[in-house]
Amino acid sequence: MDWNNQYIHSLVLIVAITVAFLTIMLLVAATVLAERRVLAFIQGRLGPNRVGYGGVLQPFADFIKTMMKEDLVPDQSTRFVFLLAPMIAIITAIMAIIVYPFGPTVTLPFLGTFPLRIAQFDVALLYVLGVTSVGVYGIALAGWSSNNKYSLMGGLRSSAQMISYELALGLSLIGVILLSGTLDIYQIVEQQSGWWGMQWNIIYQPLGFILYLIAAIAETNRVPFDLPEAETELVAGFHTEYSSIKFLLFFNAEYINMITVSMLATTLFLGGWNGPGVTQFPLLGVVYFFAKILLFLFIYIWLRGTLPRFRFDQLMNFGWKFLLPAAILNIIVTATFLFLKGGD
Amino acid sequence: MTTLLFILFAGLAIGSAIAMVSQSNPLYSAISLIGVFISLASIYVTLAAPFIAAVQVIVYAGAIMVLVIFVIMLLNVEHSEPRRRRLKFLVPLALGMAAILLAETAFILYSVQTTATQLPSNVSNVGLTGSIGEGLFTTYLLPFEVTSILLLMAIVGAMSLARRSAVLSATARVVPGAQVLAMDIVNRRAVGDLRPVETETTEEAAQLLGVDFQDRSEQE
Repeated sequence: MDWNNQYIHSLVLIVAITVAFLTIMLLVAATVLAERRVLAFIQGRLGPNRVGYGGVLQPFADFIKTMMKEDLVPDQSTRFVFLLAPMIAIITAIMAIIVYPFGPTVTLPFLGTFPLRIAQFDVALLYVLGVTSVGVYGIALAGWSSNNKYSLMGGLRSSAQMISYELALGLSLIGVILLSGTLDIYQIVEQQSGWWGMQWNIIYQPLGFILYLIAAIAETNRVPFDLPEAETELVAGFHTEYSSIKFLLFFNAEYINMITVSMLATTLFLGGWNGPGVTQFPLLGVVYFFAKILLFLFIYIWLRGTLPRFRFDQLMNFGWKFLLPAAILNIIVTATFLFLKGGD
Repeated sequence: MTTLLFILFAGLAIGSAIAMVSQSNPLYSAISLIGVFISLASIYVTLAAPFIAAVQVIVYAGAIMVLVIFVIMLLNVEHSEPRRRRLKFLVPLALGMAAILLAETAFILYSVQTTATQLPSNVSNVGLTGSIGEGLFTTYLLPFEVTSILLLMAIVGAMSLARRSAVLSATARVVPGAQVLAMDIVNRRAVGDLRPVETETTEEAAQLLGVDFQDRSEQE
């Protein structure tokens, strides 16, 4: 088949985007279920296990139930912004997916050879950071427009938190960028292939990896950094007034953000689709890629079952006085090392 | 295709800009401004400048406007009555500015159409991260460093303006009895330090705070 034809290329892109979208949505459902069941096991319970085999259909049942609820818009809310906020949240969450390569170039019967990615461009990493930073508006505006004290507090908290941790998140990635010399995620993954995993950036950037993991958990508003929706203080935080499908959008956006953040960690630090035997069987790369993502998602759930929530001043002190200096130290050490090593 | 995208995003940018100035609610204006920034970033992408586009989104839409919205939310500006009369004297000035801007646009259009197009030698490289970084750290190193020092000065200035210790008012009095004080009231240099300082007697507290306790009680 002629892959360079413009129309076929567009068609392939649409198919690729659809496949990626459906994969992510299924992964969201799986994560929601896994979160409830793993959390239950951590706490010595069974969790939902009645709908389908071992509870596999539970997320879909919940989805239908939530869809059927009444869609409320508070009387005193700023209506336009109230409707806009969940859209911003979900659109920015989904937009970040397109840059991640799901696997290497594969050859399939009847279809030919093609790479398992949607888009490859020069500033992919900056694109991810940009889209993430726009995602703050979804939460901030939702909190403001609801005209509810709890929502406003949640929105304010989350904007302050995301501004603070975005810096540490971006700076923790600079070590990897310095090592690989490119912002193109596909190239960064390809540079980490071979040597049985000894080329993975986590070996050369252990501090950067840990800083990224912490900042990413804070950026996705998860335990122990889930102050924007601290149930004990703020009812449900920024989405207190949201019901039905708009609540679902926020809910999905949070889980998609978790997945994309895990994808970024996988591609930048754990070699993406790289693993033993990928050169012989390229399709194995997809398995490795998703296995690594699932590892990160498990860490998310594990932390939620283990750690209590930060206090807000602790959160700010930790972000500005520990994470940020440590990230800058990481950059200085990496840059010095590269300078002494010389080379290109 | 490129023309279509340009018309789409240029229209969005102009529409958002008009919405920004015509809204009376400051938060709506801020949201419209974000729309302008994102549309402009999209136009940069079609002009083969992906780095500028990404930076536009990260810095303007992602960082600066988040702060603006944060402040608007924090102050919770009331939906006040529009006071159109107050700034009426600015209308002729605005018209003059608009005329100058239009004249400039016309001049640029004219000069672009009259001079022959000279494309850079390696067109495919121009907007990419590598070439921009190379330019910033070799040819334009001094301006780049000067700009960063300027930004640093702004940060330090903002810090020194905002960072003030707790100030006791002139009429401050000491409550009789043992008490617990915050460190930043006792020691003016310990800014933001809220560790408790315990005092046993009223005299001790008055001495720590520099308030004359005996004097006040004698007056009464």
